[in-house]
Amino acid sequence: MMRFNYFRPASVKEACKLLNQHQSEAKVIAGGTDLMVQVRDEDKKLAGMKTVIDVSHINELRYIQEEGNVIRIGAIVTHDQIFRSPILKSAAPLLPEACNTVGSPQIRHRGTIGGSICNASPAADPVPALVALNAEVKLESVRGERVVPMVDIFEKPYKTNIGADELLTEISFKRLSDASKTAFIKLGRRKALAIARMNVAVVLELDDQGIVTEARIAPGSVLPRPGRVSEAEEVLIGQKPTAELIELASKKVSAVMIERSGVRWSTPYKEPVIAVLTRRALNQALGVE
Amino acid sequence: MDKVKVNMFVNGKPVSLEVKPYARLLDVLREDLGLTGTKEGCGVGECGACTVIVDGETVNTCLTLAASMDGKHITTIEGLMENEKLHPIQEAFIKHNALQCGFCTPGLIMSAKALLDSNPNPSTEQIKVAISGNLCRCTGYEQVVDAIKEVAEKSK
Amino acid sequence: MPLMGQKNFRVLNKPVTRVDALDKVTGRAQYAADLNFPNMLYGGCLRSGLSHANIVKIDTSKAKAIPGVKAVLTAADVPKPKSWADYYYLADKIRYIGDVVAIVAAESKEALSDALKAIEVEYEELPGVYTIDEALEPNAVQVREKGVGLVDGIPTPGTKGNAFLESYFPIRKGNVEEAFKKCDVIIEREYRTQFIEHSYIEPEACVAVSNPVDGTMTVYSSSQNPHFSRRYIADALQIPMNKARLVQQTLGGSFGGKEELVGLTVGRAALLAKATGQPVKMVLNREESFLESSKRHPFRIRYKVGATKDGKILAFEGQLVDNAGAYNNQTQFMNCRASIHSAGVYNIPNVKTDTFGVFTNNIHGGAMRGYSSPQIIFAQESLMEELAEALNMDPIELRRKNLLKQGDLTITSQKLVQPTIISEMLDHVLEKTDFVAKREAYNKQTGSKQKGIGLVTCYRGAGLGAETVDASGAFITALEDGSVLINSGTAENGQGLKTAYSQIVAETLGVKVEDIHHIGVDTHAIPDSGMTVASRGTVMGAQSMKKAAEKLKILILETAKEMLNASPLDEVIIEDSVCFLKSEPSRSVSLGEVCNNRLWAGKQLAVYEWFEPKPLNPDHHTGQGDVFPTYAYACVVAEVEVDLETGYVDVLKVTAAHDCGTVINPATAKGQIYGGIAMGMGFACTEEVEVNKGKLRTKNFDSYIFPTAVDVPEMDAILFECDDTEGTFGAKSLGEPATEAVGAAIANAVNSVLVRTKGERLRRLPFDLERVVLGKSLRAGGNA
Ligand code: FES
Ligand code: FES
Repeated sequence: MMRFNYFRPASVKEACKLLNQHQSEAKVIAGGTDLMVQVRDEDKKLAGMKTVIDVSHINELRYIQEEGNVIRIGAIVTHDQIFRSPILKSAAPLLPEACNTVGSPQIRHRGTIGGSICNASPAADPVPALVALNAEVKLESVRGERVVPMVDIFEKPYKTNIGADELLTEISFKRLSDASKTAFIKLGRRKALAIARMNVAVVLELDDQGIVTEARIAPGSVLPRPGRVSEAEEVLIGQKPTAELIELASKKVSAVMIERSGVRWSTPYKEPVIAVLTRRALNQALGVE
Repeated sequence: MDKVKVNMFVNGKPVSLEVKPYARLLDVLREDLGLTGTKEGCGVGECGACTVIVDGETVNTCLTLAASMDGKHITTIEGLMENEKLHPIQEAFIKHNALQCGFCTPGLIMSAKALLDSNPNPSTEQIKVAISGNLCRCTGYEQVVDAIKEVAEKSK
Repeated sequence: MPLMGQKNFRVLNKPVTRVDALDKVTGRAQYAADLNFPNMLYGGCLRSGLSHANIVKIDTSKAKAIPGVKAVLTAADVPKPKSWADYYYLADKIRYIGDVVAIVAAESKEALSDALKAIEVEYEELPGVYTIDEALEPNAVQVREKGVGLVDGIPTPGTKGNAFLESYFPIRKGNVEEAFKKCDVIIEREYRTQFIEHSYIEPEACVAVSNPVDGTMTVYSSSQNPHFSRRYIADALQIPMNKARLVQQTLGGSFGGKEELVGLTVGRAALLAKATGQPVKMVLNREESFLESSKRHPFRIRYKVGATKDGKILAFEGQLVDNAGAYNNQTQFMNCRASIHSAGVYNIPNVKTDTFGVFTNNIHGGAMRGYSSPQIIFAQESLMEELAEALNMDPIELRRKNLLKQGDLTITSQKLVQPTIISEMLDHVLEKTDFVAKREAYNKQTGSKQKGIGLVTCYRGAGLGAETVDASGAFITALEDGSVLINSGTAENGQGLKTAYSQIVAETLGVKVEDIHHIGVDTHAIPDSGMTVASRGTVMGAQSMKKAAEKLKILILETAKEMLNASPLDEVIIEDSVCFLKSEPSRSVSLGEVCNNRLWAGKQLAVYEWFEPKPLNPDHHTGQGDVFPTYAYACVVAEVEVDLETGYVDVLKVTAAHDCGTVINPATAKGQIYGGIAMGMGFACTEEVEVNKGKLRTKNFDSYIFPTAVDVPEMDAILFECDDTEGTFGAKSLGEPATEAVGAAIANAVNSVLVRTKGERLRRLPFDLERVVLGKSLRAGGNA
């Protein structure tokens, strides 16, 4: 169990000031569902940590709003709050679905969307959904604020490029059109309290003729950095999503996994199964089967 | 390391404490407040033996910093009885043989309470989901679900 | 008399409320970690992180210098580093990952953790052997001095190797060589199982408190077997046993597991309490518990079975090898049971099996619910399916043809004189589950998710049998207000022993259950009754309780008769704590009045009785003879859906029929069965302590996966009874039967799908995602 000092800022401004003061000696804690496990394990990732900055009391970070067609989620919104949000249910149903598969009720009550992103676990359930939503994140610091595509902050498993003085304050994305079809599928070793063995989020848009105009496929736990698999998406775009094409696109995901991650101990299993999950997600989104 | 002042409500009573900045809520409840009904089974948020209700929602106290509990309302298993009268969930657990070794029981009861407080008429599926963060190695959950179901049905 | 409900009892057969339920639902029950004493220190252990190494040097000076650190002990500092039970309190050499190098007591958890980090140890790593196959390789590293080699596949004294000689149990019945010649079909198969963690939710804990006045060391602990834990106190401190006292706290689950590691923890805490003169609390975290606690033994089971073409099994041969780990104090008892059950619940005239353990530098096997049976039933009942396949016969028919019947001889040539109701149970379960129709329907499925149904029949020797003596003692005191105190050396481990014993006393004595208080074990207050293991608590352990209640009843009746002026011919009845005349029930006196009368008359109100089982003397060279007083039968059906594309096994329903002999309490009996089903499901599908060269990859419940409430199947528990004269009130074992067949039934259900769709069968547990898809595990190899 690591020991550290504790600060409980009441505003983003105050939090940023503290982060600026303590820099890499500080870690941000919100729900604590990931950080506290690492604290207990004295995880190498936390080496040098002397201070935690608890942002869970910064109420200005607790919101789910819609402005125009942009959805904004404050960083300390919990998985459970996302699951219960009527706005998100209509604007991006795959996100509440994904958040509802995180851990257990207890974890969903405390764990936050911002924390999930910052922890950068390759198996995080909300992340593929956010990737498929083309989410952006807002990072604030005493230096100012920047908004970047979420996928750009991930460097490698459990590592982001968020500056030591920066606080992730908001996640935003465009509301999906009414014509969008989405799915999130998670495969775990059990039905609750499961770390995703793999997961996948998909968003499809079809025109009146049933031609795919937009496809976003975001698998989790298979790529070195979260991201979409454009190679698979391109198979579908401009086409009617036939069973053959869906199969082809799904297999592309496996191929890209190997391209980007190389062959590993788990590849003999993940290679066929991520294709299966992708196929199922695409079919589920399309309402097939 | 400076201690942190926390004002919270535990089982309805205001509590004012100076806690270590890194102290877990679990340790503060068990050691500083002597509320040992909340148990530690894993320390990593998996077993749910440490479950309490914070502002109406269940949380794993092994993953919660006590320092973060300022202003919060916390209910532990010790806060369930009113005037020495068992809570209906406790009664149902007894009646349905919903416990064996009992180590998971306080956590399970807290999860059941949080569920029924927010949804007095849950489906069987909702009951199972509500207790899916509470591992029990003895009961197979069957009689636990029966007990919670009965409380739910009675409230209809 | 098949289903429960046809026996005539007042208190038994009823779902009496658990006597400890109130304490447990209110959070008041005191588990060992809940205790605090003035001046208490925190104790902790340092482990090496290595599986096989010499300790070159230990420097504890920096640790000792840390403020608040009160004691740092290594093997050099204690009178007897090695415990009586093979394991070390403090190891002089690292033989496996769980070995403890130093123990520390400190005033705060912070000082404790700093001290553990400040101890400097230099190791020299050594090559080791980890799996059964490695251990049996010629010229393998010899893990233990006492290991022996194999000659013709049999552990043989005077040779060198890793076989654990005392754990070798042969069965020799008839003549297998000759019998195989008469068989039309012979198959040979190998099955393997994994390391399983008990996963009691309460980790091991204790507080040691020494009494400076009389020198008694008292330890309050989470012991499954309090009297065995006491032995560790006396042993570690080298004090007489009458100065070692162990008090069992409410126990947060055990399933066989809170024996060795709790004993060692108790010993270590006592050493620290002695060294510091202060109370020492030692609570293990989950990772420590995974590292050092015993596991379910992995088995490698090789079978050869032969039958005539009409399905009569004539010959059965087997070699059953289990991974005992680096130390062991169980395999030499467990393999007795393993050998006796090595050929299943079938009437087979010719049997030759050899069962033995091997030492490795791995985590160690110990007692776990079933004590070898889940592993063996998995292999045995998989084999039955494969034999049926080879015979082109319905596996139900094959079983029916070979199931043991009353009067038959088991593989130890014990004649089954008690009711043997397995065939009846099989028929009932087949009908209740609609087995045959479902199987037909499932055979027609297509698609990537397919259902399967699987069946298991099995039996279990009740109690300890020939493993060791099944004696017990019990104490009953009636008090002058009519309330009754009872106690026994066997322990409440969460299974409901206190409730069962209270019911048995209530039934026997005629006292109300509410008027009985079962104290619990304090080794200074109640004599040893042997371990609370082998599902013996009710079937055999309670025999002494019943005897004591019968004796006390005679005493009470004597006084009641006097007080009621009953004529010599009149019978006095005690019911619900009231004594009355049979001929004139209105003439009555309360139990309290009777006891009060006896108290002031200076008459006996307390009884201690001892039960000695009838002797069992099998021949150790052939395994032949009577080995258990009686047997409990079970038939379990599992229904699953297998996702052939992802490997996910969804267990949909488990129907479990158990021959309970007499059901003491249907609610707690069903509780055992439901919990057993969940545990069996984990064994079949997800659970495995992953070890790679003795190092654990699974150390907590985030990676060790057992069922949650949303995972468990629909469950149907069916309670059978029969007129068996051996156990207490005719009761049989249930705690272990409840789980032992479940894994095998699920395995058969999954394999029914895999054989149908892929023509393949899995022979190694668990059937996890990777194994179902690929036929092999991708987890760190080398477990069994
Ligand atoms: S102790 Fe908190 S979840 Fe297990
Ligand atoms: S009753 Fe023992 S863990 Fe649930």
